[in-house]
Amino acid sequence: MKQETAEQPVVKSTTAEKMRLPPALRRFLRNNALEVLALLGGAAIWEALGWGLGLQWLPPFSKVMEALAQFMHSGVILANVGTSLQALMIGFGLSLIMGLVVGALMGRYRYVEKALDVYVHALFVCPSIVFAPVFFAIFGLSDASRIAIIVVYAMFVIVINTATAIRTVDPSLVEMARAFGCREHQIFARILLPASLPLVFAGIRLGMGRAVKGMVNGEMLIAFVGLGALAQKYGAQFDAAKVFAIAMVVLIIGLFTNWLVQTFEHRLTSWVD
Amino acid sequence: MIRVRGLSKQFGGVDHGNGSVLALSEIDLEVRDNEFITVIGPSGCGKTTLLRIIAGLIPYDRGEITIDGKPVTGPGPDRAVVFQNFALMPWADVLANVTFGLEIRGTPKDESQAKAKELIKLVGLENFEKRLPKELSGGMQQRVGLARALAVNPKILLMDEPFGSLDEQTRRLLQEQLLRLWEHERKTVVFITHSMDEAVMLGDRVMLMTPRPGRVKEMIDVPLKRPRLRELEKSSAFLEVKEYLWENLRVMQVE
Repeated sequence: MKQETAEQPVVKSTTAEKMRLPPALRRFLRNNALEVLALLGGAAIWEALGWGLGLQWLPPFSKVMEALAQFMHSGVILANVGTSLQALMIGFGLSLIMGLVVGALMGRYRYVEKALDVYVHALFVCPSIVFAPVFFAIFGLSDASRIAIIVVYAMFVIVINTATAIRTVDPSLVEMARAFGCREHQIFARILLPASLPLVFAGIRLGMGRAVKGMVNGEMLIAFVGLGALAQKYGAQFDAAKVFAIAMVVLIIGLFTNWLVQTFEHRLTSWVD
Repeated sequence: MIRVRGLSKQFGGVDHGNGSVLALSEIDLEVRDNEFITVIGPSGCGKTTLLRIIAGLIPYDRGEITIDGKPVTGPGPDRAVVFQNFALMPWADVLANVTFGLEIRGTPKDESQAKAKELIKLVGLENFEKRLPKELSGGMQQRVGLARALAVNPKILLMDEPFGSLDEQTRRLLQEQLLRLWEHERKTVVFITHSMDEAVMLGDRVMLMTPRPGRVKEMIDVPLKRPRLRELEKSSAFLEVKEYLWENLRVMQVE
């Protein structure tokens, strides 16, 4: 009995599988039909406009893909992506740690908030790139400059969201915890941290997006390495296809990091309705 | 025994004359061990403030509170609170919510799980241990709140309008369940309510409070025998006490 049922799908799949897409891909296409259609549509319009208008700054989509394939093939992009991602990871990691700590303290303690609020908001609204010369002066042409730029880009939105998240935790939960004898560190670990996660993650996601921007801007304006430097170089040569190809890579990094944060978010905040 | 003497509480600080509100004034109260006290009064009379002060959650300005002779300076393991809005952790399942107090007090994990399971069963939620609060009805959520409070085995149970947000049917069921639990294992209970039926049905004595500033208008003995069964609602004793409460409350509830 058992063998029979186990045997059947194997026989079936050998004939059917060759004609069809793998099941995971099929499932993906079924669930994301509209998104896939939108992307294909966008690519088609881009291609048509590229050929139709013949503008120098708008190469057809296929030319951009061609440039991307060349980059991939020559390995130049991989080396630069590695350099960029390394700074991104360190810069974002620092932003995350400092953002969460400062934000949590500001959200919990009125006097910390009063003391730091004006600085945090000033640095948040200030275009972070104005600090580029300062960091260049401090750290020179080193990785530290690029990392510092990423931190000023990413950190403050995490601080602001974390502070708001902690401040708006249902006060009756904190009171409940106190009634059961929780000390301050237990209130943090058992109530404030889990309760604030949904809003904290909103900040982390924004911070990640800003970190990617900071990464490219830093590379273009101070350090001249990584993807930013490549974009700078080809931009100066008016090679639009290559610039767009690099933009594609940045886009993919942005989407991937966003997906990464979202995966953690879903896992940790599945209780939210 | 809970002993409250000359307790006063002002919001907005004692120092600023303007803008400060006298919430409680010269409260005297003695609750005997294993006694069930219900507290009723017009809205804003400071019932909840009194309960939070006894729980050690907020400070008071004048007077003194002692429990078995020891002054109250903060929350303590002798007391547990059941909250009006349940105050369950939305990310934690029923079991984790009920073990919360035990874990804070350092009870070993297997012991606290066993204790929690026993109480979850006692309040009739044995098949819901793995559910999240949002998957439960209001009545079920408050049973979790009750189980969580009972799990730490407090001497004193402080209940802040625990059934106030529930519909009438659920409220009655929970009243009966609470009474059964209390008959089974006596505790000192201070129970805030705004329902006259509830105050009379549950309490050994009813503490009637005046509007702001909250004072003790009267302590009223409820001459009903235990166990309290629903039939008692039709008895003349029940109706008399309820009528008496209403006479007093309607005068206070001018606006």
